[in-house]
Amino acid sequence: MTAQTEAAPGRLPIAEPAEARRAAVRLVRQDGRAVTAMLILNGLAAAAGLGGPWLLGRIIDDVRGGAGAGHVDRLALGILCFALAQLFLGRFARYAAHRFGERTLARIRERFVDRSLALPASVVERAGTGDLMTRGTADVATVGTTLRDAGPEVSVALVQVLLILAAMLAVNPFLGICGVLCLSGIWFATRWYLRRAHAGYLAEGAANSALAEILTSTAAGARTVEALSLQERRIAAAAEAVERCRVTRTHTLNLRTVLFPVVEFSYIAPVAGILLLGGALRGSGAVTTGAVVACALYFWKLAEPLDKVLLWLDQLQRSNASFARVEGIGQVDAPVVTGGGEPVDDRIDVVGVRYAYQGERDVLHGVDLTVHPGERLAVVGPSGAGKSTLGRLLAGAEVPRTGRVTVGQVPVTELDPAQLRRHVVLVSQEHHVFLGTVRDNLLIAAPTATDQELHAVLAAVDVDWMDELPDGLDTELGAGGHRLDAQQAQQLALARVVLADPHTLILDEATSLLDPTTARHTERSLEAVLKGRTVIAIAHRLHTAHDADRVAVMDGGRVAELGSHSELLAAGGGYAALWKSWHGA
Amino acid sequence: MMDSYADPGTPDHRSAARYLWWLTMSQRRRVAGGAVIGTLWMVCLMLPPYLMQRAIDDGLQPGRTGVLVGWVAALVGAALLNAWLGIMRHRIMTRVRMDATFRTIKVVVAHSTRLGAELPRKLSVGEVVSIGTGDVAQISQTLTITGPGVGAVVAYLVAAALLLSVSVPLAVVVLLGVPLLAVVVGPLLERLQGAESKYREQQGALTARIGDIVGGMRVLNGIGGKELLAGRYLRGSQALQAEGYRVGAVTSWIQALSVGLPALFLALVTWLAARMAAEGTITIGTLVAVYGYVAVLVVPVSNFIEGGYDLTRGLVAAGRVVRMLGLKPAVEDAATVRPAPDAPSSLHDAETGVELAPGRLTAIVSARPAESAAVVDRLGRYRGSAATWGGVPLADVALAEVRSRIVVADNDADLFSGPLSAVVGGRSEHTGPAIAQAVRDAAAEDIVQALPDGLDTPVQAQGSNLSGGQRQRLRLVRALLADPEVLLLVEPTSAVDAHTEAAMAAGLRRARAGRTTALTSTSPVLLEQADTVCYLVDGRLVAAGPHRVLLASEPGYRELVARGDHEPATESTPAEEAVR
Repeated sequence: MTAQTEAAPGRLPIAEPAEARRAAVRLVRQDGRAVTAMLILNGLAAAAGLGGPWLLGRIIDDVRGGAGAGHVDRLALGILCFALAQLFLGRFARYAAHRFGERTLARIRERFVDRSLALPASVVERAGTGDLMTRGTADVATVGTTLRDAGPEVSVALVQVLLILAAMLAVNPFLGICGVLCLSGIWFATRWYLRRAHAGYLAEGAANSALAEILTSTAAGARTVEALSLQERRIAAAAEAVERCRVTRTHTLNLRTVLFPVVEFSYIAPVAGILLLGGALRGSGAVTTGAVVACALYFWKLAEPLDKVLLWLDQLQRSNASFARVEGIGQVDAPVVTGGGEPVDDRIDVVGVRYAYQGERDVLHGVDLTVHPGERLAVVGPSGAGKSTLGRLLAGAEVPRTGRVTVGQVPVTELDPAQLRRHVVLVSQEHHVFLGTVRDNLLIAAPTATDQELHAVLAAVDVDWMDELPDGLDTELGAGGHRLDAQQAQQLALARVVLADPHTLILDEATSLLDPTTARHTERSLEAVLKGRTVIAIAHRLHTAHDADRVAVMDGGRVAELGSHSELLAAGGGYAALWKSWHGA
Repeated sequence: MMDSYADPGTPDHRSAARYLWWLTMSQRRRVAGGAVIGTLWMVCLMLPPYLMQRAIDDGLQPGRTGVLVGWVAALVGAALLNAWLGIMRHRIMTRVRMDATFRTIKVVVAHSTRLGAELPRKLSVGEVVSIGTGDVAQISQTLTITGPGVGAVVAYLVAAALLLSVSVPLAVVVLLGVPLLAVVVGPLLERLQGAESKYREQQGALTARIGDIVGGMRVLNGIGGKELLAGRYLRGSQALQAEGYRVGAVTSWIQALSVGLPALFLALVTWLAARMAAEGTITIGTLVAVYGYVAVLVVPVSNFIEGGYDLTRGLVAAGRVVRMLGLKPAVEDAATVRPAPDAPSSLHDAETGVELAPGRLTAIVSARPAESAAVVDRLGRYRGSAATWGGVPLADVALAEVRSRIVVADNDADLFSGPLSAVVGGRSEHTGPAIAQAVRDAAAEDIVQALPDGLDTPVQAQGSNLSGGQRQRLRLVRALLADPEVLLLVEPTSAVDAHTEAAMAAGLRRARAGRTTALTSTSPVLLEQADTVCYLVDGRLVAAGPHRVLLASEPGYRELVARGDHEPATESTPAEEAVR
């Protein structure tokens, strides 16, 4: 099926700033005591950091006053104690912040997974899995970096900044306020920067992803590169992506070239301002030299923590966007299953169904079809005729634009997933093998099945490779574990279906990747297992049609012909012509 | 700035350290510039404390406004100078990092193309992805130590010299104390490396689980099992959180020590100086100066520690890159290369006995597709074998010549992102009519027509905005456009409907008329078009001849290719009629 390109209406939502803020506040509240402990530890550490310079001032005064070595020793020991206290308090403050970050990150990602799993199938279909994948991997990682790395640093620095400002105002409010005004350059430069930075870093991120994609696809497709001698092409593509990366990174560098010098100069500006102001005021006796020097020194000390906060501003901004995307998943309306009741029988009716992918033309133009219990119906037709779309509508994965699809007189979209699954299951040509053991892969369809039942089901779908697996049902599959080839993966998928045990099965090209012998075996064993069940087989290989009770030929979004194989052959229409061409010899 | 199109050079991949050194030496002038500016910046950091002290002592304290304004003006000047030096240092170091990033990506891409088919066998895609995303960034971060790192050493020496002029015992304490700090922190860094790598691994596995859940969403929606996967994810997430706590216990110590140890050291030196001042060995002014100098020394010392942190992580990242760069292609030129036959010649697979006659269309049929694909692998020389080409062992011919004259088109060959015309164009440019012809021959006209911008429409990586059948036809377009002397196709029509398949078979026949072509398939529509069908059973050739002859003479063959069909094979229609 043609993939849904990023059509705007189908996209997954992004949380509004206010909503994201509320979510963040909730996360902090959830861990209120830890956050409080973290802030107290931070405050104590920052206070200890201010103790050293204060004691040094006393040493200077006392030595000037003629104090002996013993007195100096006591004060110097005090400096040492403050330094030690700062080290230990700082460590535990960071550790507390780190644990808070780790815990909150775990909450965010776990909730993301729960919410993703709760998304209605049609929403995922429409948005494509790519967006969800990016949110689950890159965005969660960005939020993680903020929580694990930026969080502890920024919380330490912010507390320091606040403490220093408080100390300064305590020494002399007037000088303190004047100094803060001198810092205003930072505010303007940062505002200018943040307005441009977001777009700049987005472009940089996109260029980085494109570059990583080139690297990945070249590595993954290395055999194709070799086969078609695409080496130079790939190297040129990489060079082009590098150039785009260079341009975007240079742009953000230029933005920083404005911000950084302004900020760095702004740290000295208040010191100079306070000295000059202090000089003027001292003449009138409004301030003491000590107060001027103390204020100047405190501003001096402000630079370091303030710098740390600014250093992480980009990261905070980026993770804001990521957090909004992660949280956005929670805004998808949960499907309202209106409780359509229990289906009265196993009959499936399709009545006047039209369907269009988001914002596109109809791909189904009024389909009517009745599938009787126990019937075997083959759906054939050229690519793009709407076969797979019909299959998804029958399975309740899509909602028709007009018309209805019912099982036992209840619309399939009104059955909750667990209920629907007992009636209709769609087996597509995608045969995803989950990370985990063979048993894990099977149990998703029947959590309570015994090993004996699992072996029986595997045998039913003609699996003869269990003996080749190193640990039988406990063999780990997927990356790093045992790799199944396409046909083994498909057999596994079919085994899952047998375990799920629905009365109606929709096979969408389900056996197309099996080699002829296996496909035949699988079909035969399936036939035995599914005796008495309804089977709707969507196929491009005509032998499936030949074996079916009835054949529906789809063309251009309509059911063009409907009848048994021999009826359609006798009718001499498009199906008959196709059959002859396939039959070839 | 490195020219993005320039040759990245030959990397030194003997070890991780040598690789980092190579990255440094590849841009030695820029690195040297960064070191000079970085050093100046760090040394000039000592100016403002000095100037402020003078402003207080000479201007503010005695109440001399003119002098105060003079020193404050000097302070502002120094601030401007430092701001300029600081941003220049950042600009240069950013470019150093960019160079390292781009150079690494380029050598990795270039090496990927050299490794070819061997790469996916040796490394998982995930490992290469982690090079492209995480490792490259870490490596370039490590190169930061070349600028500020050097600056730190020089600033350290300057401060030491200043201290020497004040007091020899003090200078000795500082000179010995700073290296001692580095030694104390070293073992911690190693512990961090171990803790972090385990965390990263688990984090990667957990991210893979999200990918797994999202990728399998259709299955989960159809069959259920969401609770099971959610539960498994939760367990993984909790385990990662516990591991994160363990890492946090270590990193918080390292971060606190990297700030705290220099502060402790400063306290000790201050104590020593204060005693000297109390005893009258040094003046009060010197005491303040010593405090100022050592306080400034905190910057280079933290730089040492951060640099060590970066270096350990950078070495791990560079190690992965070096391992990848150390891989060798599976098939390489023999010691003595023999010339290939000049004219189109027959290809012979010794293992099965399959023979491809020059200029003819041969089909290879086997009940096991892997068996036919293996024949193609040997004839295309993707694995060592005794296959011959016009009597010459294929293994003795120059690999480059084999690749350019014999092309294997895999069923699952990758489609790279780019405009459609480039995707199907392969290695060289093609004229419009040539592309149009190949598109017709591969029965792919409807694909091009349906796309908004025709041949200029961008195709996403792996052709993910196309269906399986569309991708397969585009692969055939690409193979036909490559127009090699010998074309070997693996299951070229497995994902298309019967109608399209018939059109593709006819187009293939037409496009490859008089050219050596082989394909693997069990579809009668394709087999009907072949001059010769080679029928394999258990890896050996048991019969070769036209499709219809084999249908009559080989019951096993007939059963294989005409499955599900119980009607007599003699009821056939002529091939031409079947096609159109």
